[in-house]
Amino acid sequence: MVSRWSFTKISTFFFSLIAAGIMVAMLVLLIVQSIPVWKHEGWGFLTGTKWFMRTHEFGAAPMILGTVLVSFTALLLAGPVGIGAAIFTSEFLPSRLRLTVKIIIELLAGVPAVVYGLLGILFLRNWIYDLLTPFDPLSGDTLLTGAVLLAVMILPTVMTLADDALRSVPSAQRTAARGLGLNPTEVVLHVSLPQSARGLLAALLLGLGRALGEAIAVFLVVGRQDNQWPEKLLSINPLIESGQTITTKLASSETNIAYGDPIHWGAICGLALILMLMVAGITLASASLQFFSRNRHAS
Amino acid sequence: MKMHILALLALAGLPLLTAHAETLKINGSTTVNLPAAEASEILRSEKKMDIQIDTQGGSAGGISMLGEGLVQIGMISKHVSDDDRAKFPKVTFKEIQVGEDAVALIVSKDVWDGGVKSITKQQAADIYEGKIKNWKDLGGPDKRIAFFNKEPGRGTWEVFVHWVYGSPKKAPQVSFPEVGGNEETRNKVASTKGALSQLSSSWADGKTVFALSIKTADGKEISPANENIANRTYPLSRPLFLLTNGEPTGDTKTFVDFMLTERGQDLVKKHGYMKLSDLK
Repeated sequence: MVSRWSFTKISTFFFSLIAAGIMVAMLVLLIVQSIPVWKHEGWGFLTGTKWFMRTHEFGAAPMILGTVLVSFTALLLAGPVGIGAAIFTSEFLPSRLRLTVKIIIELLAGVPAVVYGLLGILFLRNWIYDLLTPFDPLSGDTLLTGAVLLAVMILPTVMTLADDALRSVPSAQRTAARGLGLNPTEVVLHVSLPQSARGLLAALLLGLGRALGEAIAVFLVVGRQDNQWPEKLLSINPLIESGQTITTKLASSETNIAYGDPIHWGAICGLALILMLMVAGITLASASLQFFSRNRHAS
Repeated sequence: MKMHILALLALAGLPLLTAHAETLKINGSTTVNLPAAEASEILRSEKKMDIQIDTQGGSAGGISMLGEGLVQIGMISKHVSDDDRAKFPKVTFKEIQVGEDAVALIVSKDVWDGGVKSITKQQAADIYEGKIKNWKDLGGPDKRIAFFNKEPGRGTWEVFVHWVYGSPKKAPQVSFPEVGGNEETRNKVASTKGALSQLSSSWADGKTVFALSIKTADGKEISPANENIANRTYPLSRPLFLLTNGEPTGDTKTFVDFMLTERGQDLVKKHGYMKLSDLK
């Protein structure tokens, strides 16, 4: 006899509780560990533009800006390519070929980040350095270099999720549209894309979430310069200069020095907390979009 | 039932425990890593020792990971500071010198070919403080100086600021792009025009990156050549240490002793550093 509370049910309940517990514990840990820096800097920790660890001055604004600039530029570059590729694979390729192309693109996601970073140092930074010559950059280590590298890295995420979103539009709708006399391009523009809009947006957001959290590849090419709050925010200048993102700061050797100094360590944990909240926000937004889009097709 | 689970847990834990007891973990400076990694290779094959060697976080990483008890040997290319000792009061840091190295100020090919071959301490300070921004002020090409500063905590960086300012604590707050390990530094300087950085002198190959001589007050130019490091006329030299917690014992002692033998010292020399017997 199978009882209402079967062993499977209890154990899965138990393990999902553990998973959720780990998440909460991490948040609590980061909040508690970062208390000293909030006491020391107040809201200045978020708005300050100076980070001098030796004089205990901790302002995270340039790193938050760097993170936002790098991730959104990456998304701007990867988004059109990813969705374009997804339209091609899902709408125009026969299913067997579609899977082959999809697997090849997904293989890109399996390349370790540090390999991307090394390729970035070897080729990308020199290429961008030459490309930017008219703007007289100081070196090839720029936020833009990090963004281009990230764009390649998040491409598989965006492409494969966009492909899934497009495939979830029932083919009966496409057939009906064709029956009404629309050509294949019009079917994509007026049926597939609007129907899967939420799913596509979710794919972009998950790509953005991945870009926000990536560390090592960006670390190697971003320049790692503190206190880079640009003089002119709305220009190309911030992008073609070196800078820091939250992840490159967390990956740097400064974490080794910070340990044992409560305020400095608090600042590092504070950065981790900000990053975690940013990624959590993006992931929640994307998950809710996916949830609602699934509901609509079900009805 | 309970006994079974306990036995299972004990069995699962056993390999972890034994592995921990046998693995000699080493971490720290990328400079010391070169001879130490080769020594590990020899000890692995000849004495069947299980050694795990890493360069996470440079010298600072070596010190803090030894302080935390995560490794048995730290590799450092600077002295342990009083701050470090205060941070880990329970640990008795023991520095064992295995060689000596010099820090060179290196420049990219265009700067070297443009005629900049030496630098004074004052010029180095002015570049660091942002007062000199162009190579033409040093008699070189009209090109902005792209200064790659070593990450804080790196031995190389500390030798540099120690030379310029007397102590890392007196160094001004600056904002420059940062570089980490030696390979990264050499690569980035080689591929950037007008570049300058601090680098372990044995890594300055004279093909892609070039070591500047130091111009003293009386106009002498001293290059980071081995004889100048040995007789201590070149000012930016530094000791290379293996760092242990107290007197080394067991595998740790085996490793340290090997580095001090003739074979170990030859490895130090092979990678361009000075061995102990060459130092006066």
